[in-house]
Amino acid sequence: MEGIPSEAKARIGREVVHVYDVTDKDIRRFAQAIDDPNPLYYDEEYAKKTIYKGIIAPPLFCHAFTFADVPAGSLREDGLPKELDVPLPVNRAIGGSSSFEVGTELRPGDKLTVKSKVLDIYTKSGKTGLLYFVVVETTFTNQNGDIAAREVATYIQR
Amino acid sequence: MVTTENLWDKIDVGYEVPTLVKKPTYMQLFMFSAITWNRHLIHYNTDFAKKDGLPDVATHRALIGNFMAQMLSDWLGYAGKIKKLEWSVRATAVPGNTLHCKAKVVGKRLEADGKVGDCEINVLNQKGDLIAPGKGVVLFY
Repeated sequence: MEGIPSEAKARIGREVVHVYDVTDKDIRRFAQAIDDPNPLYYDEEYAKKTIYKGIIAPPLFCHAFTFADVPAGSLREDGLPKELDVPLPVNRAIGGSSSFEVGTELRPGDKLTVKSKVLDIYTKSGKTGLLYFVVVETTFTNQNGDIAAREVATYIQR
Repeated sequence: MVTTENLWDKIDVGYEVPTLVKKPTYMQLFMFSAITWNRHLIHYNTDFAKKDGLPDVATHRALIGNFMAQMLSDWLGYAGKIKKLEWSVRATAVPGNTLHCKAKVVGKRLEADGKVGDCEINVLNQKGDLIAPGKGVVLFY
């Protein structure tokens, strides 16, 4: 953990929980934002005739709930999502990676519990200096306790 | 009834999934920022993005993952679903780029929960530069 400030290390493992209602509007707007015209996400009459028996959300829909709806005033000046706002001596975000497990389908009317925490922070030497890796785990659970998704995302800053 | 088909029997290792072409725009990046409540300026403020060393506003890591997911879902239809998707962003994709989302089946195996396929994924821009490699695990019904 060379070069990682103690305030940053203190963020590791601290879990933040938010609960949201999933609506047909959320699903529709998410599908429009990713530009996916699949009627399964928009058309209840069509979706009823499929194996899903109704509208479901796209596979990575939980991305709509990864970042908490905190007021803008509580964000850094560059608007970096709170979940990634770990006090590091660098602040330029570059690239990143993700491992996203898809669980049970989400539908309008579901209640989603989102739990987020920093799993790890580590550094590597890059061409232009030290690179900082922030690993964030987010789990999404529906009202029945079924996992809808689990994502481990690694954000790189320099 | 929208029917399912048995894709498992039809595909072999080496099968190439139909390519999905995506053309991110400023409006799409804005919409994705809005729906994900991601207020990071690098996704919708060109001046800020350039000051940050990027060629223009950056297509979100998560949006690129969704492009991969759409490609796999379009192929699977009602014959299966995505179990897991892994990807990493190697280069910045910006509005005006044409992204080619490609995948190839690299493995078929039987697991406790059923018939599983492994896919190797690549998202390339119009010049053929690798934007994001990935791996997909799909479950066939």
